[in-house]
Parts: sequence; C-alpha cells; structure tokens
Amino acid sequence: MNKTMKQTFKLTALAAALATVYGTALADDSEMRQLTKPDSSISVGIGNWSGDRPQQGIYDDMGKSKAYGLVDMSVVKRDDATGTWMTFSGSNLGLDTREIKAEWLRQGDIGASVQFSRTPRDNPLTFTTGLLGVGTAAQTISGTAGANTLPQREVKLGTTRDMTQLGFYKSFSPALELQVTFKNEKKEGARQWGLGSAAYFLTEPINSTTRQIDVVLNYAGERLQLSGGYYGSWYDNANTFALGTIKGAAAGTTSSPGTTPLSLPLDNAAHQIYLNGGYSFSPTTRGNFKLSRGTVTQDESLPRFAAPSAHFTPAPTSLDGKINTTLVEAGLTAQPLPKLSLVGNLRYHDVDDKTPLAGYIGSNATLVPTVYNTPHSIKTKAAKLEATYRLPEDFSLIGGVEYKTQDRSAPTVGTLYVPFVRDLDESTYRLQLRRSLSETANGSLAYLHSKRDASDYVLTNDAEEDAINPMHIADRKRDKWRAVFDWAPAEQWSLQFVVEDATDKYSSGSMPQGLKDGTARLYSLDASYAVNDDWQITGWYSRDENKAKELGSREHSNVSASTNELARIQKEANLREVGDSFGLGIKGTAWSKVKLGGDFEWTRSVTEHAQSAVASGTGAIFPVNNGATSSALPDITNRLVRLKLFAEFAVHKHADVRFDLVHERWRTDDWSWQFSNGTPFVFGNIADGTTVTADAKQQSTFVSARYIYKFQ
Amino acid sequence: MMEFLRKLLALFTLVAVVGSGSLAQAADNSGQATKKEAAKDLVLKGDAKCTECHDEADAPEKLAIGKTRHGTVADGRTPSCTSCHGESDAHVKNPQGGKTRPPVEVAYKGKFTSSPQAQTAACLTCHQGGNRIFWQSSTHAGRDVTCTSCHEIHTAHDAVRDKAKQTETCFTCHKEQRAQMAKPSHHPVPEGKMACSSCHNVHGSNPKQLARASTNETCYTCHMEKRGPFVHNHQPVSEDCGICHNPHGSTIANLLKARAPFLCQDCHASGGHPQQIAGLPDKRGTASTPGTVVMGSVGRGCVNCHTNIHGSNSTVNSATAERFRR
Repeated sequence: MNKTMKQTFKLTALAAALATVYGTALADDSEMRQLTKPDSSISVGIGNWSGDRPQQGIYDDMGKSKAYGLVDMSVVKRDDATGTWMTFSGSNLGLDTREIKAEWLRQGDIGASVQFSRTPRDNPLTFTTGLLGVGTAAQTISGTAGANTLPQREVKLGTTRDMTQLGFYKSFSPALELQVTFKNEKKEGARQWGLGSAAYFLTEPINSTTRQIDVVLNYAGERLQLSGGYYGSWYDNANTFALGTIKGAAAGTTSSPGTTPLSLPLDNAAHQIYLNGGYSFSPTTRGNFKLSRGTVTQDESLPRFAAPSAHFTPAPTSLDGKINTTLVEAGLTAQPLPKLSLVGNLRYHDVDDKTPLAGYIGSNATLVPTVYNTPHSIKTKAAKLEATYRLPEDFSLIGGVEYKTQDRSAPTVGTLYVPFVRDLDESTYRLQLRRSLSETANGSLAYLHSKRDASDYVLTNDAEEDAINPMHIADRKRDKWRAVFDWAPAEQWSLQFVVEDATDKYSSGSMPQGLKDGTARLYSLDASYAVNDDWQITGWYSRDENKAKELGSREHSNVSASTNELARIQKEANLREVGDSFGLGIKGTAWSKVKLGGDFEWTRSVTEHAQSAVASGTGAIFPVNNGATSSALPDITNRLVRLKLFAEFAVHKHADVRFDLVHERWRTDDWSWQFSNGTPFVFGNIADGTTVTADAKQQSTFVSARYIYKFQ
Repeated sequence: MMEFLRKLLALFTLVAVVGSGSLAQAADNSGQATKKEAAKDLVLKGDAKCTECHDEADAPEKLAIGKTRHGTVADGRTPSCTSCHGESDAHVKNPQGGKTRPPVEVAYKGKFTSSPQAQTAACLTCHQGGNRIFWQSSTHAGRDVTCTSCHEIHTAHDAVRDKAKQTETCFTCHKEQRAQMAKPSHHPVPEGKMACSSCHNVHGSNPKQLARASTNETCYTCHMEKRGPFVHNHQPVSEDCGICHNPHGSTIANLLKARAPFLCQDCHASGGHPQQIAGLPDKRGTASTPGTVVMGSVGRGCVNCHTNIHGSNSTVNSATAERFRR
C-alpha cells in the first residue's frame, strides 16, 4: 500500500465515520430535545353553537347561538444554562372567560409573574321589566297604572370579575424563600335583588373592588420548616346603598316608604399575621404548630336618610365593627411502634366580635333602643387523636376520636327570633379498615359516629319561636358508612365501587319543630378497560339520594280573613332528591396520526317536596292572598345529556388539526319562576309587573375546528 | 515496531469500515457507540446510573422529566433519579444475576410499590416546606394517599396542577363531589374557571382540608362582601357559609342546601308567615302590595323580601331593617 492509497483510505474511512456519527448525533439531538425540552403550542380555531344555552352557558360565555373564536397558547422557553423560564400562556383568548399569564423565573433564584383572568356569570333568566336604572344605585319600578306605568323590555343580568394578579418570588438560599402575591379583582354588573318590603323586582348594583396581598417567608431546613407572613385584604364597594322607588307611590310610612333605601355591603378590611411550623424529631416523629392573629374592621360611615326612612337618633354614625380571630394549633405525628402510627392535634380557634354594642332601632321620642347590632363570637376548642395499625396482608386499621367544644355568644339585648345556645359539644368516633398497595384488590370500610349536644339555651320567650331547635345547633347523632372497593380483575380491567350512607337524627325534646331526620346515600361504580395499548374505554354510574324530614306549625294568632288560614296547622315535609349520573368515554389512537375520542354524559335529578298537614278549624290548608291561591309544590326534574366527540389529526410533525362536536340537551320543569298554572312569575301585584321567564328546554350543537401548532 | 502497529491499526480500520459492507452497518456501529455514550447523563444530574438502561429507547416517556422544573439542572436543588428512587444498587447491579432484577428502593407503582410513607418521604425531602408543612397530619396522608397518587412527575403537564383538568384526579376518589358538581347550580369548576384547590389545600390539615383556617375565611377570599361585620348580622352567615350552602353543587339556585321556605324553616319557627306551608301561587294578587303568605316558595322564596339575607347595614328605624329587608 503506497502513501497515496493509505491517505485516501484514511480519509474515506474518517469521512464515513464522521458522516455516520455526525448524522446520528443530529438525529439523537433532535430526538432528545423533543423528549426532554419544554413544549409550546398555539391553537387557533373557530366554533359555533347552533342554539342558545343560557343555563349551560352561565360561566363559559357561550350562552348565545353564534360563532366563537377559540384561541389558546402556551409558550414555554427555558434557558438551560441558567435555568431561566419565560412562559406565556393564554386560554379562551377569543372568549370573555380569557386568562393570560406571563412569567419570568430564574429557577431557584428569582421570579415574577403577571396574570389576568375574567370570570363572567350570566343569569340564565330573562326579565321583562319596566325597571329603570338597572344596576345603578337609583332604580324606579313601574307604577300602578297610567302615566306611572313604565314600558317593558327584556333585561339580562350578570356580573363580571376581572382579576389581575402579580407574583414575586425570591430565593435567598436553598432553604429560605420569599413569595409575594397581590390580587386585584374588579366585580361589576347587576344581580337580582328586591325592594325589601314586598316581592318587587330590583337589581343589586355590583361595583366593587377586592384587593389581597399575601407576603410569606418560607424556611425549609432538613428538620425545621417555618412559614410566616402577612395576609391583608380589602373590600371597597362603590355604592353604600341603593334607592328603590315605585313610580308614583306616595311617601308612605317607615315600613312602606315611597322611596326605599336599601343597604349595601360597606367597605371592610382584614389583616392577618401568621406563623406555621413543623419539626421532624425523627423520620417518623414530627411536631407542628399554627399561630395566626387577624382583625377584620368595618368602620365606614353608615348611610342615613330623611323621613320616613330616618334613623334612630342616638344610633352611632359608624358601626366601628371589629372582629379578632385567633388560631393556635399544635400537632404531633409519631410511630411509636413499627406498625402503629399516631396523629394528634389540639386546636383553638377564637372568632371574637369586638364590635361595640349599640342601639340602632328604637323610639325617637323616648330615645330608648329596642334593636341592637348583633355581634356573634364563637370560640372553638378541638382535640383529635387518630391511630393507624398496620395488619398483615397490607391491611390497616384506623381508629380516631375527635372532641370539639364551642363557647358561643348569644345576644343579651334586643329581640331574639330564634333560640341560641352558649355551649355546643360534639364528639366524633371513626373506625376504618383499609387495604392498600395490592395490585389487584384494594379498598376500605369506614364507620363514623358523632354526637352533638347543645346546652345553656337562650330562648326567645315566644312559645312558637322556641318550639324549634335551629339545625346547626340542634342535638344530633350522625352515623356514616363508607365502603370503597378497587378491583383490577385483569391487567386491562379496573373497577371501583363506592357506597356511602349517612344518617342524621335530631332529637326532639322540648323543641319538636325543625329538621328531624336526614339521610344521604351514594352508590357509584367506575370501570375502565384498556382494549389495547392505543384504546381505552371508561364508564361510570352514580346515584345519590338525599332525604330530609322537617316538622313545623302555624298557630291561630295569624288567622285573618285575607289569608283564609286555618286556626292551626301541624305540618310535616319530607324532602327527597335523587340524582343519577352516567358517563361513558372512549379515547384512542387510530393509525399513528389520528387521535379519536368521545364522552357521553347523562344526568338526571328529581326533587320531591311531599308535605302533609294536620289542620284544625275551617278553611284551606294552602293560604289565599288577595285573590292568589297557592297549591302543593310539584316535583322538579332536571335532565342533561351531553355527547362530546373529537378527532385530532397530525398533519405535520409540528401541527395538528382538531375537530370537536358537542351535542347538548338540557330540560327542566323547575317551577321556581312560574305560577302553579305554568305561566311566568310576575313581580308585584298592581305595580311592577316584571315577568320572569326561564328557558326550560335547551338544545344546542357545537362544532369547532382548530389548528394547533407545536414547537419547542 | 511502530510501523507494525500502524499497519495493524490500518487493518483494523479497514475491517471496521469496509468489512461492514454498507453505511447502514456503519450506522449500527455508530448506534453502539451512542449506546456507550449513554453512560453520560441524559437529563438529570447523575442520571447516567439509570439512563444507561432506561434511555430514549427503553423508556422515552421517563425522560420527559427534563421538560419540568425537576429537569432544570441549572437549579442546584433539582434531583437525580436516585434522589427519589433511592440508590438502588441491587437493581442496578443485579448481583444474583436473576432474570428479573430486584426492584428499585423506592417504587411508586407496580408489584413492588413502596410503602406510602417511603414514597412521600422521598418527595418531602425537598417539598416539606410552605403549605406542605402539615402533610403528615393531613387526612390524605392518613388514608395512604401519596404524592404520586395525584401528581405525575415524569410529564411536562401534571394534570392535577391544571385548573381545567384537576377534577379528573380528585373525582377518582371523591364521587359525591363529582355528582354534585354536575348539578345545575355549581361553582365554575366544570367550566375550568376554578379548581378544587381554589378552596382546598389538599396538603394541609385545616378542617375539611380548606385553604384557610375556616370555611368562612376561605369563602371570603372571593365573596368578601359577605364578611361584614354588619349592623344586623345573620348568625349562621357569620358562623359558617356551609350551614345553608353546598359549595360543590345543588339543584337549587345559589348553591342552597334546600329550597325556601324549607331551608329557612329549619331555624325559624313563628306563628306568622315564616312557617307558611310551602305552596305555589296560581297568579299574582290584586291588592296594592303583594302579601307574604304565598310568596315563600316561588321566585327566590323568603329572599323575595328578605333581600339582604347575608347581613344588613340599614339605619332605617324600623324592624324591616333588622330582618334583612333593607
């Protein structure tokens, strides 16, 4: 082999090796980049709903039958050398529900973000009304007749929340970091309201701003972790009151003035400092604590009006409201034996309303107050202990006990309309047997029993009003069962069964009225089947049933000719609601470039309002009022059927085209805004005349196409 | 001697390249070379110990951790495979030479899944701070829920941290809430404007695993107008929004647990209209003022007139004010 030949051979071999190696390296780099570097995508499309869907479109800004722009994006860039992320995400950019977020973050060092989110809420009802000044602080209701009658038109109500959030993050060391979050939310619009004296249509003007700031310093050492900071929040309402006037109405009296002033929530603020911590004494023993102290204030000037809506002369000009909240909590988790784990917790939560007590209603002649403001304080002390014992075969037995006692304030002056209690105790016992970690069969069976006892009652001294024990303080026994069983009979199959049963019993004693029994049951079955590596089918069915039994009575002192009521009615209501939900989904890949999927959802709820009454005297059980006669409440059935299909085609390595089809049917016979003969509800009697209609049957189909560009 | 070695090297090269017969074969050889290069870290610091076998050919989906915060190696705090799965020398070396290797020291799924405590301990090594300080005391921890029960680590898109998809994870266990969320009155969770974590800190130990210390403190973050204090407070409103509302969903407007007047009559017994029998009127009346005795069920029920049911700041010197009608 001569020199030339040798050189030629060397060069050829080298070139071949370089070409193959270099070429492969390129392919490897590309593949590895695709596998390990952040992804970005931009999706642009258009969709169209074929019919109005006011009920289903309450929150998604797609309640109207029309075309909508569908724009979403997620751009994620990372500088690997410095660990710096630049992200920009936007969802629903073509809709009123848009959300935008931009973030810059040098991971482990410093970062900042800005975010915007809009949340609309469109009232599904249509109001045909003559009301003037909808959503403002001065509104006029259509008068009784003639020149006082205002022309009617259709009005839709709704609110919009615009939230802007700023975030800042700084890490001072691997263990110490600062997080600052500031949120500003502007809420505007109009909400359904009322005149107060009677059922007249009015709208609450919504024009408020809330601000929240959370500054938290986190320390996370190997054993000790601390988190402390300041949380402040402010509520500012542009209006302190609204005036409602029935056009043409005379000045009237205090209870029925010509122009009615209606109060609105006043500005309030809250400040809280807190410190949370945990310390790991060993890998299995850990202590923790929470400390926080907060103050809520409401000290805006109270609006006052001229007669006949004048104020009580000695009443303060400001509530000077102040509520202090204190939380002290300490907990311990431990594993004293290899198979025994313990969790213990002590909690003290004190909501102390320090608002000064003052009279706000009374006689302006004698200056003696009869009605005072009503501060409410609740001090809750709770202790919890839970033990878990590991049994063979991956079984665990969990037993727990929790005791809670409350010191509650009760009004000491003024008029009571319901009984109060000063002491409330509740004991809860839990027992659970569970099996986990098995590949084929896991589950749990849990039982809970709790008993709530109230004592030291403060009564109204009205025989009728004291005949009831309010549901949230009434003596109660609760028994609850929950069984969960997860079963994978084969590699492709997964099944889950859930059964829940809860029963509440409220004791009668000397307070026979109110909530007596309540039950809640849930049955649920979920299944998934992997047909193969590409296709999966899921399905579920659940049934929930809730029942409540209430006792009540009306007594003779309220019988009047106008209401044609009986001397006395002892009544019992048996409320029942049953909900059924069924879902079926399929998702998979057809060929290598096509993804297909579909979901079918069917839900139905039936609400029953069975009532029985034992009457004495003559007359009708259902009252009559100025020509209107009421009758028993029919059942209500709501149904929703929704079918969603999609197909996604990879038209290019970096691009997909997606088509969606949604067919939706909603139907209800909810009579809330109807008279018993099915006609729309009308506000007022002679005046107002606002008619409310609900779209009881909605059927619509959505078709959309999107182009999705993906890149890194 | 040197000349002999040069000739030997040339012969070796000749055999290596020409003997391969084609570039394809050369590419195979190149692939083998790449295989050897896999001994270098692929994604995480020190991952070569694992990616020597679990590379892009064996487990490409695992390498997606490189897309995440965990995979941002410039951040000195980020982990290696062994930070979470343990050193697992027995798995790597397979000293018994068995057909099936011993499992890794900390496994998160499969036949050799580690104990829940071992799984979470691996995560808490770095993530015990902030709002996870109380994880060990949480109900989730007490029920053997682990971090990976909900979180996906080896993916760029952890669904449970996506507001629009979070419920898919939560509803795996919470079936009652799934059923409630499908009811006509609900928070905008199905629409993706809120998530379960908007109200719940599932890593915490607050009652009901709420984000803040109490139900009301949690609700006030969005419904601050209900915070008051008011001149005329409605006691259950001040105590717990959950007395009247079911935040997960209801068939009754405004998330109410029961329809008026039934709900109101659970607390209010009175000889007067508060205890009216529930009934639907056939029409509006003919008098100048609508009465109350037929208005407790239709429309907004009792709230038709008691409009400021969450509290009132009215200064009107009338009992209408204290009864939330002004």
